Order: sequence, then structure tokens, then C-alpha cells
Amino acid sequence: MDASIGPWHRTRCLLYFKIIFLFFKVYALPDDTFSEELLVKPFESGQVLFHFQFTTLWNASTAEPGSFTHYRLFPKALGDVLVKYQVQELHLSLTQGLWRYEKWGYPPEDAPPGVELWVWFLPTVSNIDKTWSDLVNALSGLFCASLNFMDSKSTVLPRWSFRPMGLASEYYSFDSRFMRYSALPKEIVCTENLTPWKKLLPCLSRVGLATLLNAMKLYDSYYSSLGIHVRPVCRTQTCTDQSIELKQTLSVVFDPTISSSGYQNWQLRSLFGDPLTSQCPLASISKVYLDKAHLQSSDATVTLYPEPDEVVNFTRGREKLTYAVWDIGRQISRHQQLNLAIHYNRKIHYGEINPPPVYAQRFITGFGLEKGGITSIIYNNLDTNLTAIYMETIPWFLRLYFSSITITNHGIVVKPYKIHYVPGKDRARNYQLELVFRLRPHSVTKISMQFERAFLKWTEYPPDANHGFYVNSAIISTVLPDAYNYTASPQTSSLLGDSTRDNSTEFFLRLHTETLLVSLPTPDFSMPYNVICLACTVVAIVFGSIHNLTTRRFIAVDPDKQVGIIQKIKNKFKRNKPEEIVAELTASESVDQKNESDIKTKKKEEMG
Amino acid sequence: MIFAILLSLSTSVLTVNTANPPVEEFFASNHTNNWAVLVDASRFWFNYRHVANVLSIYRSVKRLGIPDSHIILMVADDMACNPRNPRPATVFNNANQHINVYGDDVEVDYRGYEVTVENFIRVLTGRLSPSTPRSKRLLSDERSNILVYMTGHGGDGFLKFQDSEEISSVELADAFQQMWQKRRYHEIFFMIDTCQAESMFQKFYSPNILAVASSKVGEDSLSHHVDPAIGVYVIDRYTYYALEFLENVQPGSKKTMDQFFKVCPRIQCQSTVSVRTDLFQRDPKKTIITDFFGSVRNVELLTETLNLQDSTAELSCSKDKCPEDKPPKSGVQPLSYAKQFPMPN
Repeated sequence: MDASIGPWHRTRCLLYFKIIFLFFKVYALPDDTFSEELLVKPFESGQVLFHFQFTTLWNASTAEPGSFTHYRLFPKALGDVLVKYQVQELHLSLTQGLWRYEKWGYPPEDAPPGVELWVWFLPTVSNIDKTWSDLVNALSGLFCASLNFMDSKSTVLPRWSFRPMGLASEYYSFDSRFMRYSALPKEIVCTENLTPWKKLLPCLSRVGLATLLNAMKLYDSYYSSLGIHVRPVCRTQTCTDQSIELKQTLSVVFDPTISSSGYQNWQLRSLFGDPLTSQCPLASISKVYLDKAHLQSSDATVTLYPEPDEVVNFTRGREKLTYAVWDIGRQISRHQQLNLAIHYNRKIHYGEINPPPVYAQRFITGFGLEKGGITSIIYNNLDTNLTAIYMETIPWFLRLYFSSITITNHGIVVKPYKIHYVPGKDRARNYQLELVFRLRPHSVTKISMQFERAFLKWTEYPPDANHGFYVNSAIISTVLPDAYNYTASPQTSSLLGDSTRDNSTEFFLRLHTETLLVSLPTPDFSMPYNVICLACTVVAIVFGSIHNLTTRRFIAVDPDKQVGIIQKIKNKFKRNKPEEIVAELTASESVDQKNESDIKTKKKEEMG
Repeated sequence: MIFAILLSLSTSVLTVNTANPPVEEFFASNHTNNWAVLVDASRFWFNYRHVANVLSIYRSVKRLGIPDSHIILMVADDMACNPRNPRPATVFNNANQHINVYGDDVEVDYRGYEVTVENFIRVLTGRLSPSTPRSKRLLSDERSNILVYMTGHGGDGFLKFQDSEEISSVELADAFQQMWQKRRYHEIFFMIDTCQAESMFQKFYSPNILAVASSKVGEDSLSHHVDPAIGVYVIDRYTYYALEFLENVQPGSKKTMDQFFKVCPRIQCQSTVSVRTDLFQRDPKKTIITDFFGSVRNVELLTETLNLQDSTAELSCSKDKCPEDKPPKSGVQPLSYAKQFPMPN
């Protein structure tokens, strides 16, 4: 290449090369970090939560597409999608099972059953609806999920419930035009979703914590949830620049009491199939945390194996907490493996479990297939008033009566501070409702609303229409003054371990209620076939009888005519011989002709 | 009588075993890439066997070298994580649980309600919306060999999708013709396991299609056996024996399509496996099975030597030691996190 161009050009080329080299040198610095963490939390109910979090931080920003050129730890498959569709923040969760707030407290990452996706787009996007539909298609290919069903019929623009989790100006974060929310409560989550999720990890699933993620074990559990969370975060303490943070989370809840006959004992090998034998060499932090909150409250003697490297006591809100910490690298260099195990000296005692401060229940009311209702019950066990935002998205075929929305607290009607209501449109938009109201201390607040079931068109029914139709979870957002049962990491930090240094006094809580299954008036799909059969039968009967009536001649038989016994016997024998029957017919015809006049008179009588 | 059948069975098995693949040179296939479109058209738990069928073929083509990016897998219902499955995240083709055909790295491209006749025809003919991701497209060209496998409930001239709609043999034949006109394939191997399966390829009129069906018109294709632990039939006869054959095929194997057509004789299948070769230009006896089930990898050798940097090596300066590449901006408003709760508490 150099030989073909002149010396002057060559020097200029070299200069360019130097500039490019310099540019690359800047970007070749380790401007990204990766960390793998696992939080283990045994519950009073016997189950154990394992929450994996893989965090990649990169000095790049989707607002500057030029920074997404030289990938090292950040997955390119996802990075390309974020840049192309100008995504500011993306939160995707794929969940199987329902999180039991009453028994398990609050999860580190809250997610409804099925799939939930909410995205904040950059303000530079011109046509957000189009970008959103392209984005969900791209993500559906990336995660093997039917996200392409998140069309305009199931997408909403929540006004208050979803704020950006990362860096954002106040002006931007109050403008819900830039955000889209959608959920598919029916979506099934299985190995085919875990496979692409694992492929985004820099160490894949060959080394490090991800080696524990064995699909056959993960989906044989009470609850399992995959998450992808992308947001801009502060690069430095001064926060003049932003980095991009990718959090890949996986929560799974097992019940070890089933396999250990009533004991809460478990070890990594029994739950995940293998102990941990390696550390991801690209990870700067590889740690396992165990929340000892429940272990200390129970009266059983609990032994942890191996001894934790560190025990951290800290206070979060007013809550005193203890984390046992294992450093995976240190453990493996010492023991070649980390087969974390817990041993209890007695069987589990099932007792009353202290529920978390705020939790909810939601169900369908009414009977029949014409009308129905949705009722949510929100419990507040705190001594203080709480302001809550309640968000409900209802498919268009459940026509909501706005006038029927009532909030009551022990029989007293609660007036909402604010209401945001977007009525649905048939086959175009779903019903969207956001209510802001007060939860009184130590009280139960009930929200109820009525709807009417619509008729769908023949082709709109899914193949399994008789199974019913799913309704999204309702979302309740509030701010707790205390961190009781609260495990989410603080907003300003990226790592699970940062919870131990959290000194905030307010804890934002978002919780998802149950999804609902509603049956709609479903036609009998074999009806057209039945109609054809029935119609044909009727036609055949009518046509046949008319045909008979119009083409046959009626014969009057003279009952007085005596037939001798011999003749009767003869007739019996004759009947089976066709030739003779024909002969008989011709004989009778001749008889007919004789009696024609008689018949005519008889017919006249019938018709008259 | 029974003895005679047994004798004929044993002799037929013997002939299959002793017939070594001919050593003569095979006709050049002339294809440069391989694709597979694998369709399970049945929903509902009692059709577990159809999902096992399609995953059996998926497992085989993946093992023989077709990458996930070149496989379009359509599965109409979720069996692996179905609440009724006592062994979650697995689909076995056998009551003895020999082979978990679902595997640990499956990628399903179309699933659930997405498996429709419309989507299937669109995938074949390439008439998809511009935003469809690459993993859901059949990006084949005139040098592609495509394996099309279908399974479900069918009848004379149709295959049901999700128990709510059906594709007719004429529609399928027209789709293949459209593919041929658009130069979307070089050769197609069409394989179908359903009742009266032969009727689905009788209407084909496009060149270079080789087809095999599990049963003749008027015959039912039957399932192989039931797993009492799951409570449903786990696989269909034809696919069961086809998988048994394919499990013994290695990527370098010289087994031919003709040998594959002899899989599952009437004694095993209880239906007559039917073959159509008149549209196909080559001799099935000289067509190796990996032309459709395997993958061609064209390797070009370079004479130059490329030096690649070790990307995992420690860089000369770490984040702490290196001077900040940019001086901290002065006078710039620091960024802040958005407030999560926009209401007064």
C-alpha cells in the first residue's frame, strides 16, 4: 500500500496513523471493570434466595455513539442495540414464578411473573413509537422471547411510577414521553432465555460464578428471574462524566428443606450440581455475601462452611445487619474450590413470619362472563403515613368503568391526591391508570374497580382461548423510612456489596402484585362445523320428505281384504327374492290403477 | 408367519449393516452454506412428542455442525418449563431418559403464539418486516442447502398449526416455488412426520427438492412409546428411528440419503415411509447425508502471518496509576441521579 503512494503522502499517512494510534491508546486503557457477586439469603420459611449479579461498568455513553467502538468487557450484541436505538436506560426482566413478599421480604431486583421491559430513550430520538417497536424486535431476537408482542396494544407511558434509575436531569426525568413500559405476563421463561443471557457475560459460563447456572437446576425452583439493567452512572466521585452500567441479575429461590428432610441444610453442590471451582479472571471483584439476618434470629445453631473471610456488621436505615463475606479468589487458592454450605443442628420450625412493612394482594372479583372487577389490598404495617403510587394496565378487552374506581381504608373512602387515567381504545390501546394516595399507618387499603368483558373477533382469539387471558401485575411504588427486609442495592452504587456502606434514610420500593387470569366469553370454535352438520341434516330431512311426498304415489290398502294363511306364508318366502318383488310391484301397480279413483277421493280428504 | 417376519427383519437389518457406503467419489454438492427450518406445529401438553420430535432433529443438526444462527427453530408450546413437566428444563425422547434433546444451550427463534402459518411462510419466502432480527430470518441464497422439518397433526393435504389453523400442501408447494424464483435455495430436503404425511409433498413442483414423509396417504403415523412418569407419549416412531440413525452419523460421515430413506421400515414404523426423488437432480445413493444435516465450512488458508495482541495481558498502566486522560472539567454542572419517587412523602 505504501509503495503505491508518494513520499509526501506517506508522511501524511504516518501522521494520521499516529493520531489514530494516540486515539486508540486512550481507549485501550482499562476503562471498563467487571465484577461478579452472589448474595445468599436464607428465609424464615425455609427457602433460600441466591441472587447473582454481574456488573460491567464502562466509560462510555449511549449519548456519544463514538464511545461504543472498542468493546472489551461490555457485550457487543447488546451495545449495538443500545446505540442503534438510542437507549438511555433499559430494564428487562424475565421471570418464572411469583415473589412471595409476605414470606421472603423484598427482592434485590423486583420483577413480575413473565416479561417486563421499560426503556428510557435519549431525547434525540425523533419517532419513539417506531424506535420502540424496532427495539423490542431486536431484543426478541437477542433473548429468544416473544418481546415483539409488545406492540402499541400493550405499551404504556407511565407518568409517575417509573423514573430513570440512573443519571438524568430533573427536566428529562419528569417527561414520560421518552419512556415506554410493557409487560407480557404470559411469557414463559426457560433455558432458551438463559442461554443468550449467559452469552452476554465476559467469561460466558465457563469460569466464575456463572458456572453454577445450570438450567436444569435453576428452573427446578420456586422462583427464578433473569434481569438486564442498563443505566448511566457517575464515573467518578465528582460526577462530571457518566459511565454506562450493565447489571445482569439472576435470582433463584430454592427450598432445601424438601431434599434434606426438614433440615434447612444446603451446599452449592446439592443445589447447583457443582461447587465453585474458578473465578472469572476478568472480574475485579468476585465475592459471595450471606445475609445472616434470619440465622441470628433463629434459635438453632448454624455452622457455615467454609469460615467466611470477613463478617461485616453494618446499619442500614435503623436495621442492624450482618453479612458473611467470602472472596472467591482467596477461597479457591486456599481450598481449590468453594462449596459453600450451611448446617443446622435441628429441623426447621415453621412459625409465624413477620411480614415486610408494605405488601399487597390482588384478585379478580365477580362472577359470570359479562362483568367483573379487580380488587387490590395494600397492607401498611408501619407507624407512619406512606404516599403510594398505584399503577394498573388493563387490556382493552376488559373495559374499565372509571366511575367504579374506589379506594377505601377500613370503610372510609380515601381521596387520591392525583389520578392519571388514559382510557383504552378497542384493538389499539390498553387502559392505563395511576393513582397517588395515602396509606394510613397500620391499615389495610382496598382499591377496587369494575370492568365489562368485551367480545373479541373470531380471529383475535389465541389457540388456547379457553385457558383465559392474562392481566399485567399492578405496580405499587412508595418510599420506606426503614430497610427492614430490604435487599436492593442503593441507587448511587453499582455493586451488591455497597449495601453495607449505604447511609441513606429513604428506601425506594417498587413491588409487583400477582398477575390475573381472566376468562372471556369464548365461542365454541367447532360451531361452524356443527352448524354445517346441523344445516345439512335439516336440509336432508326437509328435502327428503318433500321429495318423497312429491314423487311417491300413495296406495290405499283395503283392510277388509282377507289374506289367507297360505298366502301369508307364501308372501314371506317371496319377500327375499328380488325378481319376485318386482313382479309383486308390477302386480300391485295394476291393482293401483284399479283403485285410482278411490285414492283420489282419499287424497282430497287429507288435503282438506 | 411371525417367524418369517422376524427372519425378514433380521435379514433387512443385516443388509443395512453390511452395506458399506460406496467408496466412489460423490457428486459435488455445490452448496456453500446450510440452513435448517425446524417446525413443531402443535400446542398443548399431550403433544409433548411433537416437541421432542423437533428437538431431536435440532440436536442432530446442531451436533453435525449447523450453528444456531443458521437454524430457525419454531416450537409452538413450552414443554421443558411446563408446570406439568416433572423434570423441568428437559425434554426427553425416551422413557429411560437417555438423551435430553432440549439440552443446555437451546435457542428457540419462534415460540408460542409466534408459530403461525403466516410466520412460517414469511420465514421461507423472506417477506418479513424490516425490523425482524437476524436470528428470526432465513438468510439463505442460491447456494444454500436447506433442511425443512415439520411435525404436528395432519391429514390428507394439510398440517394443523396450534390446533387453530392449517397449512395446505398447495400453499407449501407455492412457497417453495417462490423460494426457487427468489433464488433462496440450492437444494431442499423436506422431512415431515405427521399422519398422511406423503400428501404434503405430492403437490411440490419446484426443482431440487428431495422429500421424505413418515406415512402414505390414508395411513396414520404413530407414536413410539409412553413415559409413565410424564404421562404422555414422548416421541413419534419415524423421528425416533431417524434420530437413532442420526446419532450414529458423524460430521465426516459418508452415509447417504438413500440409507436414511431406509430408516424405519414398516415393521418398526407401522406406517410406510414415503420418498419423493423425481424433483431432485442427484442420485440419493450418491448424496451424503451431511449435505443437509451437516454444515459446509469453507476454509481459505492465508500465507501471511498475523500477530494478534494478547487482550488478557496486563496493560502497562492501570487505572489507578495512569494519569487522567482528561483533566476534570471545571465549571461543568455535576450530573445527578434522578429522583425515584416524584411525590412528596
